[in-house]
Amino acid sequence: MHSSLSNIRLAGVAVTTGSVVRDFIADGLAAGVDRAALERTAKTIGLRERRVAAAGITALDLCADATERLLSEMGLDATSIDAVIFVTQTPDHSQPNNASLLHGRLGLSKSAPAYDLSMGCSGWVTGLHQAALLCAHGGAARVLLCAGDTLSRLTNPGDRSTDPLFGDAGSATLVEKTGRSAPLHFVLGADGSGAEAIIVRQGGARHPAGSLAERTDAEGNRTHDANLVMNGADVFSFTLREVPSAIESVMRHASYAPTTTDALVLHQANRFILSTLAKKTGFTEAQTPMSVVEHFGNQSSASIPCALIHCLGNRLEAGPLKVVGCGFGVGLSWGAFAGEIGPLTIAPILSLPQ
Amino acid sequence: MTRSEQLKALRADVDALVHADEATVLAALPQWDSLAILLVVSHFEHVHEIEITGAQVRACRTVGDILNLIHSLS
Repeated sequence: MHSSLSNIRLAGVAVTTGSVVRDFIADGLAAGVDRAALERTAKTIGLRERRVAAAGITALDLCADATERLLSEMGLDATSIDAVIFVTQTPDHSQPNNASLLHGRLGLSKSAPAYDLSMGCSGWVTGLHQAALLCAHGGAARVLLCAGDTLSRLTNPGDRSTDPLFGDAGSATLVEKTGRSAPLHFVLGADGSGAEAIIVRQGGARHPAGSLAERTDAEGNRTHDANLVMNGADVFSFTLREVPSAIESVMRHASYAPTTTDALVLHQANRFILSTLAKKTGFTEAQTPMSVVEHFGNQSSASIPCALIHCLGNRLEAGPLKVVGCGFGVGLSWGAFAGEIGPLTIAPILSLPQ
Repeated sequence: MTRSEQLKALRADVDALVHADEATVLAALPQWDSLAILLVVSHFEHVHEIEITGAQVRACRTVGDILNLIHSLS
């Protein structure tokens, strides 16, 4: 689906990460993995350290912290928010949704609707589209988009193919209605036939609870039914199949070319995937931020806002950049965007608790 | 690309296979893991423009089976 929305702008972004630093090599050695194998993976995939949430901290806490810091940075009161959208697949409860909990915690106006989008790595773009729709056509002047997860809680420490990848983070993005006419372009899509490529089988209504007996795959990775299980090779195939064409499509709508675009900001899955996508879409590695994973881990739906701050923060604070981006992952699903972003208010990346 | 050229290109892209020949049993290689499988999927895509799944790679017993897979899908 293509959608172009005018008279909206990103006003500010903040990210709060988990506070526990996990070192890829040290963790691997402790798990009995050979150092040479760890260094090979670290180099190929771009893993170094990640930040995971301390005990008791949830995606709601991380996003609430990011929101409070962003509002403070912008000198705004929470009651000025007209709607809140919360993108997460690790909510505090199955009911009520995280957006309602955040609404209550921040004291938002009763006229502000609050709803969740159950999406992962593609979710920030889908949430941005929703927020932009509310501003462009829905009567909202300012929408809060929160996006974040604590996926480190779902992976099995014995699953060396998945567990070392993920960090925990929450983001807050403010989208505002503006007189500016330059549109933000979106291309969104899904392929539900690949739904099993990234899945947590237990914990929803289909299988609320059951055996947590561990299975061991051919490579020695251990998982049980309440773990996040990912078929990395199939997710990689899906990414190469769908993401370049979504990027090319959204760039056609925006009349952008790689040479006239300032940055390609992708979901920070891992360095290997990002460098492959940059190559396939005609962007240089210098145009394509890739360093979030090695500092923070794969942060699910918070990774694009984290890349905006971590890799482009100073430039986005100073003025507009022509940015193309794409989130992709669980669903399977993807969302690409293109447009001018900035000048942007940015709250620095901090951890909770600090 | 001849079969020996295909083997050479595969070895260049997939570090786990750097000393392998057609008869090498994949499961016997210490570095034959999920990362190696991902590198094979990537190799198929960028060298041969063939999309394959992880399951197709996991079904290969030897390096020769990977070359057969290239042949059968080309």
